[in-house]
Amino acid sequence: MIHRRRTLAFFVIASGGKTTNFVALMLNIHNLHASVEGRPILKGLNLTVRPGEVHAIMGPNGAGKSTLAAILTGREGYEVTEGEVLFEGQNLLDMAPEERSHAGIFLAFQYPVEIPGVSMIQFLRAALNAHRAAKGLEPLDSGDLMALLREKAALLKLDPSFLSRSVNEGFSGGERKRAEIFQMAVLDPKLVIMDETDSGLDIDALRIVADAVNALRSPERAFIIITHYYRILQYIRPDFVHILADGRIVRSGGPELALELEEKGYEPLLNPA
Amino acid sequence: MAVTLAQDKLSLEEGAARLTNLLKSLRDEGSLPSSLRDRIHRWVTAADLHALFTEQALKEDWKYTTMDFLRRPWKYAPFQVESTSAPFQISSSASNPLSISQIEAADALKSFPDPLSPWEALLSGVPVQVHYILKDGERLSLTLRNPGDLSAQLITVSLPAYTKGHILLSLKGEGLSLLRLHLHLAEGSNLRLYCISEDGGENVYRYFLITGFLERAASISTYDFTTRAGWKRGEYRIRLGGIGASAHLHGAVYVREGSLVDTAIRVEHFAPHTESNQLFKSLVQAHGRSAFQGRIFVDRSAQKTNAYQSHKALLMAPSAAAYSRPQLEIFADDVRCTHGVTTGFLQGDMLMYLRARGIPEEVARQMLYRAFLTEVIEKVSESSLQSWMEGQLDEAIGFSF
Repeated sequence: MIHRRRTLAFFVIASGGKTTNFVALMLNIHNLHASVEGRPILKGLNLTVRPGEVHAIMGPNGAGKSTLAAILTGREGYEVTEGEVLFEGQNLLDMAPEERSHAGIFLAFQYPVEIPGVSMIQFLRAALNAHRAAKGLEPLDSGDLMALLREKAALLKLDPSFLSRSVNEGFSGGERKRAEIFQMAVLDPKLVIMDETDSGLDIDALRIVADAVNALRSPERAFIIITHYYRILQYIRPDFVHILADGRIVRSGGPELALELEEKGYEPLLNPA
Repeated sequence: MAVTLAQDKLSLEEGAARLTNLLKSLRDEGSLPSSLRDRIHRWVTAADLHALFTEQALKEDWKYTTMDFLRRPWKYAPFQVESTSAPFQISSSASNPLSISQIEAADALKSFPDPLSPWEALLSGVPVQVHYILKDGERLSLTLRNPGDLSAQLITVSLPAYTKGHILLSLKGEGLSLLRLHLHLAEGSNLRLYCISEDGGENVYRYFLITGFLERAASISTYDFTTRAGWKRGEYRIRLGGIGASAHLHGAVYVREGSLVDTAIRVEHFAPHTESNQLFKSLVQAHGRSAFQGRIFVDRSAQKTNAYQSHKALLMAPSAAAYSRPQLEIFADDVRCTHGVTTGFLQGDMLMYLRARGIPEEVARQMLYRAFLTEVIEKVSESSLQSWMEGQLDEAIGFSF
């Protein structure tokens, strides 16, 4: 059975019956159950993501949004009790966090940690060169590295002086989130998971982040945007909106679903009269 | 050269008695300045290392230290003067040590303190005594090699008013090295003191005691740095004796497997508006041991004192040990004193953050270990010395990314 499902992951016949497309699935989450300290959080979550798509996952507090992000990036302390996650046909759950990064997964953290004593340059040099080593490439020379970092910093309207500061140390909330998107731009991932990147951003910072994300949208790259609020989706228009409640996706739709949520709140959608 | 282990037969008490006698036999009063001769004679005569096991206060001060070096029957061999391998430019006009007649008037001897321990008493009388008076801008290297048994030396340095000086202190070689350094900083003078280790090993035991007396508006910054294996105890006792004097003591130590690095600090505020700051960090490998004792003493006269102390230890394995003992003794009522101590392992969320960006776990750990001590190394204002320390640390940790 598992073997068959892996094959399907590469060639999936799009549903709907109108057209028959052979589009490689990038991410396939099937019947995912997970718990934290023995408490079930995810209870049979299904989600498929193809290259180029932007998915928004919305849901009330405690629905399991951050747990999903944590499991996709391999954070410790989460136990998968059932189901599987395939990324480009590979079993993601067997991979170390760094291997997931090398494979092309990027998480923009909800709470990026401060790392005193490690400069952004050292950090990104180590990260980029680890990515290159995984691909069998030589380390980047420092001239090329600096050129790349400066170019991407400009995209996020970050002062280049921040490159010599310690990672996230003393950064404002907005700077941290911009620094996350900056790292994403540098590492050029295939799948980006944004875990409440919009929280704590003022409207100007939100625009800068959204502009950068839009500039990085491409037919090869997919996004999963985890958020509480409709606001960010006004700037980054999703292809699909999913509502996560009590550990499962209870409803999926197009961008209009987010608008409906904004107008009515979660209550009528979760408990239709 | 090296003492063979087969000779390690003495009990700690026997060793203490033997070492006491050895150090007393070294006393050479002929080379002492007359102003100190009588005082030192009394101290040395009364001193006995056995007090390490009997006197409550001393037992406390040496509680976290292993004293296996006492089991060895040491023989005296004088230090050899060497040049340092660290990038520390010495002045072209480096002071020659002064003769006895020249030092009689030196400030350093006026403030030479009474001993608080038998070590201090015994080391006051050791035969090789070198005295310097620094010229403005002078850079002095005190790099001393122990030829392989027991070496001991007393050095005093005076900084005249409104001079700036730099001193590099580096003990090298195997065996038991004992160094006693007294510093006198006259009004408005400024000293940077670097205490580094350039080599190490199983058979390395290094003890130094640095005392300092600071007059009005004088300031001292010290940087204690080691990544080398062995036993090391460094004691600092700085007295802020004049209004507005300040002391900034830093330490970044990497304690290797089976090694001990013990630091004991006593900063004494004896005048108003004085300031002191202690920033020490220890990174401890498996089976390594770090001890830090930091005492801030504020005399009744030292109103408006600002004193800070921070010691952080990062353990690299469950078998690593770090002991911290902050002590505040405050007799003035208008002062600000803070202290903070942390001990623990690497934070999982930092490690996860680096790994989530593709940095392999082992490299991520090394980066974080390195960063832990970098915070202190960054305080070294001389960039060549700072890079040298970073290089030493990278080599010790095996970091090469």
